[in-house]
Amino acid sequence: MATQQVEAGAAGHGAEPRGKRGEDGQATYLIAIAEALWEEMERDERVFMLGEDIGVYGGAFKVTEGFIERFGPERVMDTPIAEETIVGMSVGAAMEGLRPVAEFQYADFMSSGFDEITTVLSRYHYRAGVPLPVVLRGPSGGGVRASSFHSINPEPWYAYAGGIKIMCPAFPSDAKGLLKSAIRDDNPSMFLEHKWIYRRIKEQVSEDPEFLVPIGAADVKREGSDVSIITYGAMVHKALEAAEALAQRGISAEIVDLRTVYPLDEETILRSIEKTSRALVLYESYRFLGIGTEVAAVIAEKAFEHLDAPVVRLAPPNVPVPFSPPLEDAFLPQIADIEAAVDRLAGW
Amino acid sequence: MRRTVATKVEPDAETAGRPLPDDRLKEILYFLKLARYFDERMEALYRQGRLPGAIYSGRGQEGTHVGVAYALEAEDSLFPTHRDLTAQLTKGLELKRVMAQFWGRIDGYLRGRDGNSHIGDWYGHRTYAVMSHLPIAYPVACGAALAYQRAGSGHVALAICGDGATSNGRWHEALNISAVFRLPVVWVVNNNQFAYSTPNAKEFAVPTIAERGAAYGIPGVRVDGTDVLEVYGVAREAVERARRGDGPTLIEAVSLRWRGHAGHDPAKYVPRELLEHYMLSKDPVKNFERYLKDQGVVTDEDVANIQARVDREFDEGHEYALASPFPEPGDVTKGWWVEDGYWVGEPGRAGGTEAS
Repeated sequence: MATQQVEAGAAGHGAEPRGKRGEDGQATYLIAIAEALWEEMERDERVFMLGEDIGVYGGAFKVTEGFIERFGPERVMDTPIAEETIVGMSVGAAMEGLRPVAEFQYADFMSSGFDEITTVLSRYHYRAGVPLPVVLRGPSGGGVRASSFHSINPEPWYAYAGGIKIMCPAFPSDAKGLLKSAIRDDNPSMFLEHKWIYRRIKEQVSEDPEFLVPIGAADVKREGSDVSIITYGAMVHKALEAAEALAQRGISAEIVDLRTVYPLDEETILRSIEKTSRALVLYESYRFLGIGTEVAAVIAEKAFEHLDAPVVRLAPPNVPVPFSPPLEDAFLPQIADIEAAVDRLAGW
Repeated sequence: MRRTVATKVEPDAETAGRPLPDDRLKEILYFLKLARYFDERMEALYRQGRLPGAIYSGRGQEGTHVGVAYALEAEDSLFPTHRDLTAQLTKGLELKRVMAQFWGRIDGYLRGRDGNSHIGDWYGHRTYAVMSHLPIAYPVACGAALAYQRAGSGHVALAICGDGATSNGRWHEALNISAVFRLPVVWVVNNNQFAYSTPNAKEFAVPTIAERGAAYGIPGVRVDGTDVLEVYGVAREAVERARRGDGPTLIEAVSLRWRGHAGHDPAKYVPRELLEHYMLSKDPVKNFERYLKDQGVVTDEDVANIQARVDREFDEGHEYALASPFPEPGDVTKGWWVEDGYWVGEPGRAGGTEAS
């Protein structure tokens, strides 16, 4: 795979400039996201961004660096710290025909707007038939020593609300194509970037302004025949590393990258299980009622006759993301854990 | 009902010293009487077990509801609460479709997806479908107002909440942001003196809600919410101020909720003397009717005709609601996503893709 890991900046709080594509045309995940926003802002003047420190400062992670100079303060709107109103205001603007993209400095802070997300944004179209093309985006995920309030994987909270399409891409191309699709979609979307990936992963990314990745479609990132690892976000990269190590030992793992966690692409998941007969569900949201809980249920319910082993889940415990490096490492699934889980499955 | 409201609120020779032309004053009386009659009849049906769901009486507060909604143009948007059905009727919602919603029928504005006064008609009369987590619509009104400001359309958003909702963080967020961005929005607090059972004194420590406007750098006005013309005048001024680009206004309209929070609540926490005072001296409907009679704008016969119209419309609406089909059970999951196409074909709804 033409993906490279590069040296990341300090602890995920990437205040250094966003940077540019390399001469080889490769873009980091961060740059790919910025390109998606830029292209859609150019394409459709109804699209505008709002959030905290996204204008003059260019955003906490510099995703929107340089946008205010091009698009002006009306379309790159710095707001007070008022998450309920950032979400509610996005809804109202969408009702009147605009297409807001709201940035949260960390996905953790989406919960400060929880009621407007889960009560208004998720339910309004079902109740009243008014489309709400709103995108909420922000960095999620751990592994960067950012501890409890800057590392969350909030996707299960909002998937449970329903009515909001939730994307958790693992690669720059998927991030770019999915974010563009989300901005063009008439439904509400939540676009969860992974801050561990931001500056670490880069690859060739299309420069075609019509390059889109479909929402709700998983993607097989590595073909295999012995076991399926169903995963998403930063765990895809760990799974790929584990698969390399497993291959050395003669175990062929298939990696299914969900890309969109809600709605779930059951078809791609089940097709992989039919092929391998063994499922490891690997996810970074909490083990109890995390995204993988639903994936495991779908497999148990719909692919029972294909299974040669019980479905195995590997995910963090339901405790706050801890700070101290040995604690966070114990909290997050590691490559050795993945290998051990696959070995258990292969033993059946 | 689409109408053009005269901008002029000041009395002049044309209106014989009254703030509005006579036909407009009669229309206001119609809405007041419609509200009162609807409220009483629906409560009776509820108590007889003939109405499913819930009712939230707005009795005693009709002056606020009619006054603020009458100050809006057709293209201005209204963000009400469950208590403010009268404001939505004044904005133009059809009584029969409102009643179809109460009985959970497909011809209700929300096609049975929601009930009672949790209603709205965004594409028709620009009213937001009510939600319970008050003041949940305040931030949304900011967004509509932002869109009007961007487009330079001159439209205004007006949001209503009760005294209780002013204790919630969103109320403060929304007022602050509306002031910072100078949004064309009017904030109405229907202070009916009780948040469910909790009186004003246990809700906030400032003497009035209106003076909180100063904290956000916007004007705050306190008005007698039982006097429909006083409310209309203040609201009209606030709407025009917003339309001119001079930013938001906070209006505190004081009245009293005559009935409980909802149909099940006997409201024993309201002191009897206070209730009697409001019912005897501050009845928004009777007082306005007396004013129009004193002014020679309406005769007893006119009033009887208005009442007969209201009676007839209620009966027709009731009949329409009961004759309307229930939604198809098989449609329960439809409309979760726009691409389901469930709402396509509803009046004013394009649905579908962004291109539409």
